[in-house]
This record gives sequence, structure tokens and C-alpha cells, in this order.
Amino acid sequence: MAYVDSAKSIPLSRATQLLRGRTTFFLGGLFLCFFIVLAIGGEAFAPNPPNQIDLLHRLSAPNLTYPLGTDHLGRCILSRLMTGTALSLGTALTTAGLILAIALPVGLLSALCKGWVDAVLMRIADIFLAFPMLVFALAIIGYLGASLTSAVIGVALAWWPSLARLVRTLTLEAASKEYVLASRQCGQKPLSIIGRHILPQILPPLLVVLSLEMAGLLLVLSSLSFLGLGAQPPAAEWGAMLNEARPFFAERPSVVLAPGIVIILAVLSFNLVGEGIRFQLDKRRPYRW
Amino acid sequence: MKPFVFKRTLSGIPTLFGMTLIGFLIIGLTPGDPIEMELRRLGVSFTAEQVEALRVEYGLDKPLIQRYFIWLLDLFRLDLGTSIASGRPVLELFKEHLPITATLSVLAFVSSLALSLVLGTVTAVSQRTSVSTSLYVLTMFLVSVPSFWLALFLLAVFALGLGWFKLLHFGNAQDLILPVITLTLGNAAVMSRLVRERIIAVMSEDYIRLAITKGLSRRTILGRHVLKSILPPLITNWAISFGSLLGGSVIIENIFNLPGLGQLALQAIAERDFAILQAYLLFMGLVFFLANFAADLTNHWLMPQLKEDDHGVR
Repeated sequence: MAYVDSAKSIPLSRATQLLRGRTTFFLGGLFLCFFIVLAIGGEAFAPNPPNQIDLLHRLSAPNLTYPLGTDHLGRCILSRLMTGTALSLGTALTTAGLILAIALPVGLLSALCKGWVDAVLMRIADIFLAFPMLVFALAIIGYLGASLTSAVIGVALAWWPSLARLVRTLTLEAASKEYVLASRQCGQKPLSIIGRHILPQILPPLLVVLSLEMAGLLLVLSSLSFLGLGAQPPAAEWGAMLNEARPFFAERPSVVLAPGIVIILAVLSFNLVGEGIRFQLDKRRPYRW
Repeated sequence: MKPFVFKRTLSGIPTLFGMTLIGFLIIGLTPGDPIEMELRRLGVSFTAEQVEALRVEYGLDKPLIQRYFIWLLDLFRLDLGTSIASGRPVLELFKEHLPITATLSVLAFVSSLALSLVLGTVTAVSQRTSVSTSLYVLTMFLVSVPSFWLALFLLAVFALGLGWFKLLHFGNAQDLILPVITLTLGNAAVMSRLVRERIIAVMSEDYIRLAITKGLSRRTILGRHVLKSILPPLITNWAISFGSLLGGSVIIENIFNLPGLGQLALQAIAERDFAILQAYLLFMGLVFFLANFAADLTNHWLMPQLKEDDHGVR
């Protein structure tokens, strides 16, 4: 049955919902653009050099020279936050890339080879999934020694199995399409089938999911840096900045809380975009009291 | 029920086995010699023979496979080895640090479960009232807040501002209030979003429309129809969120200076004390494994017709 929803027949409540989905998406997108601009040109916008030490103005309150005040070494907090954007977002992006680099081949192999390859790979994924994510990441970091690189590796190793499963499910669905079967019967090589027919089908949903996972990745990576297991001082990574300022928490709580607000905004913008996408794709109309 | 329990247990064995293998490899493939590193850290002068003697004492001179099976046998005898940094048995250290982490995670789990059900139901069922909208915005915010920031924020307000709690002090049960609240808020927000999602999914079904048309009361519909069909995926999710609580307690213990397993693990990372780290990984893995196992059994008991894979949500 063809069912066409004309614009006029949309009830007011539904229209506001649509707007709400759009607004969250728009708002999140706006924040994201802001962060991307900061990440690219952070150094240029910063009012002060991020690592300039001013011992006469340690832990100072916000003023004209230092719009957000200074930290325990007299460094400008705002400048550090701005220049840290590239590092913080870049780390999350690198981790996402690494996760994809593991999950994509594993998922593809598992779905296309089937049989024992599938069984073995999925068993391995199960074993990785059997540990709580953060605990596993901690163990890997402990093994490699605390640094930003090991944090990225640890998180990626803890994170890939769930995405590999998704790749497998998507590939199974994509490979069962009739035109894929047809091209196989025509004798097309497996690699070119993957490149021409399967990847174009699975990449869009995969990238959407991965961009939604960015919020979680940002949270985990900044938490690790906060624990002193990720980025090391004097790097201006947001979580590391909080960690560095911790001994002065009782003295000036705002020095610790300010960098956190930037993390919240960044995570929130990813979540808002995700929520907006989900809202747009949601075709269900639940009953509401 | 019985065959299911049997099957599920049997299918869990390879996973458990694989977990021990990973746990072992993390120590077995250690870059650098842990003994030499420890001696260097302590600043003791040592000869090659002394290092060799210590290697023999800790069994580090045997081939990897042999060490794995020796280690596995020890594991079954609950011999988790000795902490290289402090020289004390790992099991003893665990017994000391476990109560805090266990109390913290269980309390936070129970309270976030209750809170998430209320939050999720309210935000799903009445979507256009100001109460549910503000609750929805609140959960959206809480999901985006790093737990360490929330902890510091609560400390700034309640410890520094109002003076209700002491900063960085652990002595009695009262000092667990803020840590539990921090863990609960973050976790409840994440869980409530799934509750909301599931309820919306069920409320879109035709049989709910039928029930409403029949004139059933809200309570009957929510209690009998909705709750029943949202439970299985939720139970699976609860097991997973228990795992994330176990992991998340590391951060909370660190901020509130609580002597729990997480603090022990962090210290082990700093001191490169792999025996503790390994035991921590395996123990948390085992608890998480048991939580998932319990969730599967509960689901099977609630709805025997569900197939095993039908609710593998992560």
C-alpha cells in the first residue's frame, strides 16, 4: 500500500517533534563545527601562548589578559583549552580509525569466509568482550606503560569486538543481496566484490555508528588521561589538564572544573548529533498518554 | 531449564579459557625483565647471578607454555602469585581491597537500576510535558558528563561549599555516599536511555494500541504488557552496565581516595606490578562473565521461548 504523508496532515505535535530532532542535530552540529575550527586554528585564536609560564599570576581569577584565569604554573587556561582541542579530538579520531582498521577486516573475513574462520574470529571477539571495557583497557595500558599511545591502543583493543560484530552483521546482509550473488556467479573476484558492492553498502551505516561512538571514546580517553594513564603533562589534553590541576582543587575548584566543561560540550555535541540522526531515522509512532 | 543451563555453561568454558590465556599473556609477554626493572626501581645494586636466582624463584626461566599451565594450576588453587612491589600475596591484597569496590558497585548498581527505570519510563511515556522534557535534557547532559568531572563537581558543592563531607577522606560508611551518588547518576542516565528506547519500541506495537482501545488502565498496560516485553533486553543490558560500573569504579576510587581494587590496579600500573594487574583483569572478567551468565539464565527463566542470540544487545 502506498502511503503518502502530505505536509498538511502532519499534526502539530509531530511537527514540533521533527523540529526537536532537527534542533538537537543543528545544535550539536554547530558545536562540532566550532570545535573543528578550534582544532584547526587553536593556536592562532589563543590569547596567550599555551605553555607560557607566569609564576607571578598563579591560580589567578579570570581577568582581561587571562579570560579564564591561570593554572598552578600561571599558564592561561583558555589558551591551553583551545590548543588542546586538536590533541583531544585527534586522539579520539585516531582511536576510532584504529578500531575501524581492526573491526573492518575481521568482520568482513568472518562474514564472507563463514565456517571455521567465522567461528574462530567470533570466539576471539567473545573473549575480548568478556572483560569490562575499561578494565581491559587498563590492563593493556599497564602492559605497555602509561602514555597516550598505549591509551589509544588499549581503548581500541577493548572496543573493536562490538564493532566487528556489527560489520559482520552488515556484511552478511549486504552479501545476500541478489546483485552481489549475480556478480559472484559472473566470476568477479572476491576483492573487487568487496570493494565495489559490499563496502559501499556497509560503510555509511558503519561511519554513522562510529561517529556516535566518538562521544564514548572522548569520555574514555579523557578519563584515562585524567588518571594519568593517557596524555602526559605538559600536554594540553583536556583530561590531562584536569589531572594536573587536581592538587589545587581545594584552593581553586574552578581551575579543575573549567577544562571539564569543554569535555562535556564536546561529548554533548557528538551525542546531540547522534540523537538528531536517530530522531530523523525513527519512523515509529508510539502511543503517548 | 536444565539443558539450557548445561548448554550455556558448556559454551562459556572456551571463553573462560581464552580469558585466562589473555590474562596470562599480559604478564608472560612483558616487555623488559620485571625483576631487573623492580630492582632498578628500588635502587638496589645487583649482579646477574642474583637476577637469575630471582628469575628461578619466580619461575620466569621456564618456557612460556609451561609457565602458562603452571600458572593455570596455581590459579585453580587460588594462588594468584606474589606482588613484586610489596612482596605480599596478591590474594591477601585482594581480600583487603575488595570490600570497597564490591560495596560501591553493588550499591551504585541497585540504585541506578531503580533510578533508570523511573527516568526511562517517565521520559518515554509522557513526552511532551515539561517534567519529562527537563528529565530528558538532564539525562542527555548526564550521559555527556565524564564521571571524574561529576565527582569533582559534587565534591566542590557538597564538601568544599557546604562542608557536608570531608575531602579525600575515607573512614566510615558515610564517606561512600558521594562516590555512590556519582556512579549512580552517570550509570542511571545511560541505562535510562535504553529503558526509554525499549518502551517507545513496545508502545509502537499494535497490541499495545489494542490494549489501549480495550480501555485497559495505564498501570495494567505498563505493568503487564510493556514491562514484560522490555525486560529481557534490559536484563542483558544490566549485566553489561554492571561491567561498566566495575570499570568506572577505578575513576571514582581514585578521586575519592578509596582503598578499593581500582586503586590497587592503578598503583600496580604505576609500579609495573603485573601479578596484581593480571589478577585484577581476571577477577573483573570473571565477575563480568558471571553477571552475563546470570542475565542469560534469568532471561531464559522469564521467557524460555527466546533463543540465546535474540537478546545479544551490546
